[in-house]
Amino acid sequence: MLIPCPVCGPRDHGEFTYGGDATVVRPDVSDGDSGRWAQYVYDRGNPRGAHREFWHHVHGCRQWMAVERDTLTHDVGGAELVGAWAGRES
Amino acid sequence: VVTFGGGHMYVSQSTRAARYGGNLDYYNSYAQRGQPADRHEVATELLAVFPNVGKVRLLRSWGGVMDMSMDGSPIITTGPLPGMYLNTGWCYGGFKATPGSGWCFAHTMVHDQPHPLNAAFTLERFHHGRPIDEKGAGPTPRLH
Repeated sequence: MLIPCPVCGPRDHGEFTYGGDATVVRPDVSDGDSGRWAQYVYDRGNPRGAHREFWHHVHGCRQWMAVERDTLTHDVGGAELVGAWAGRES
Repeated sequence: VVTFGGGHMYVSQSTRAARYGGNLDYYNSYAQRGQPADRHEVATELLAVFPNVGKVRLLRSWGGVMDMSMDGSPIITTGPLPGMYLNTGWCYGGFKATPGSGWCFAHTMVHDQPHPLNAAFTLERFHHGRPIDEKGAGPTPRLH
């Protein structure tokens, strides 16, 4: 499986560490609802098909990215940087 | 069955072949085919324990879907619907068929409530703040 790293180009997924579902949104720190926090920590859709997920190019440029991948076929679509470097793809 | 703690490797021998495994992909997948790198890693672990099987040929390899739970422990409980019972989330342990857990699950079905031994293994434990995280690895299935 090749992941198209926005910095390094297509690289083997063995260079990356998986970071899980990228669609989960962290509740606001002032949110006092324990149900929403439990949902954020434990509940995942785990879809069979299109999945947006985090990968860390830990043995490459060390950047975090959000990758579109199909969990059934392992077809990998686009990847974009997240965090401080979001939107700064070369 | 011979197993060792340095990895997930286990091996057993039949009259005609040896059966060994296994490893995780460490990411969500329904592909059920495994990865060449993982096949290589598991074979490497087998050779670390039994170097003498180095010339044995690999006949078949198998990849499947494992029911990973968020705390690494199983869910053996009455279900959210009447007459529904859950026995899942065993991760890659393969203990679904062990007599002890089967006995607890049978008790749960017969009495429509869990035995004290599996009373904590509910589906709601995550939302109630009572996960059974034996390794302290946190809510990351690939770390269990």
